[in-house]
Amino acid sequence: MSRRTIGLIVLLVGVVSIALTTFIVFNPEAPKSVRELGKYYIANTTRDVSSPEAVTAIVWDYRGLDTIYETVVLYMAIVGGLAISTTTRKVSLKTRTGLTSIARTGTRIIVLLIATIAFAIALHGHLTPGGGFPGGSALAITVMLIVPVYTLQSLLDQGVSSTRLIAVRGLALTALGLVAILPVIKGLEAVTNLKFYPSHVAGMLISGSLWFYNLFEFLAVASGFAAVALYLSIPEEVYREEIKGGE
Amino acid sequence: MIVTLIVFTVALILSLVFIYYAITEKDLLKAAVFSAGQSVSYAILLHTMAAPDIAMTYLAVSVGLYSALLVFVISKTERYEE
Repeated sequence: MSRRTIGLIVLLVGVVSIALTTFIVFNPEAPKSVRELGKYYIANTTRDVSSPEAVTAIVWDYRGLDTIYETVVLYMAIVGGLAISTTTRKVSLKTRTGLTSIARTGTRIIVLLIATIAFAIALHGHLTPGGGFPGGSALAITVMLIVPVYTLQSLLDQGVSSTRLIAVRGLALTALGLVAILPVIKGLEAVTNLKFYPSHVAGMLISGSLWFYNLFEFLAVASGFAAVALYLSIPEEVYREEIKGGE
Repeated sequence: MIVTLIVFTVALILSLVFIYYAITEKDLLKAAVFSAGQSVSYAILLHTMAAPDIAMTYLAVSVGLYSALLVFVISKTERYEE
């Protein structure tokens, strides 16, 4: 047996015995009742927000401002990353062929499946677990798959660049802000939900502003993470040439 | 109930094994794969604790985005740790 395996066995035996000892000595028990705040959300979410999904209701309605600030923080982080990894000249890479046709076909199928699930997670976020953020990060994974399999250059040729994706993200964030501010026109408070937005559209439950928030957050997160993937996959040589040219 | 507890315990021990291998691995690319395995077992943990929202976000971010980010970063440095 190698030293690594022995180390693993020692670690496992140690951790499991510590866990069992703690259990026997302190005998912790899970609480039998739900806290008052939790009870309130479970009982009143359907009435207050007209959404059966309490988590999305808390994220976008009861605690909506927190979520908007979190989105802004993520936006600043992505823009900061773009600022230090930007290039003045147009990135043109020596055309590489990417991977074999087996990998390409497989990726095509997987990308389609991931994109479908991402849309389902985001647009059903007010009914089932999920929402804008998980949906958007799932969609961004498609870009991270396409870059190594089809090469970065093929994406750049299609006109997909990190600057444009950041622009999409900016537009989506503006729309998000507008959804929050629009009720003010009618004299209501900002971030008002059901007094301003309809709970149903054409007989389908959209839970007022929750659906719009989920949609725009989905676009913002997907384009943001895709932009990160694109600027991280620019090879080092491009930056080296950039530094040489600058001197 | 007992099935949930068994799945919980197995996922917990599995995550410990993955963490150990991720830390001791000298090949950084393999370490990233072990790290993704640890994330999968954490997602199972979150699901057995009845938190599907967090499990979903956790899967997308820590298995997909975080692993891809690590691979991009490793491609800019050396693959083997000394």
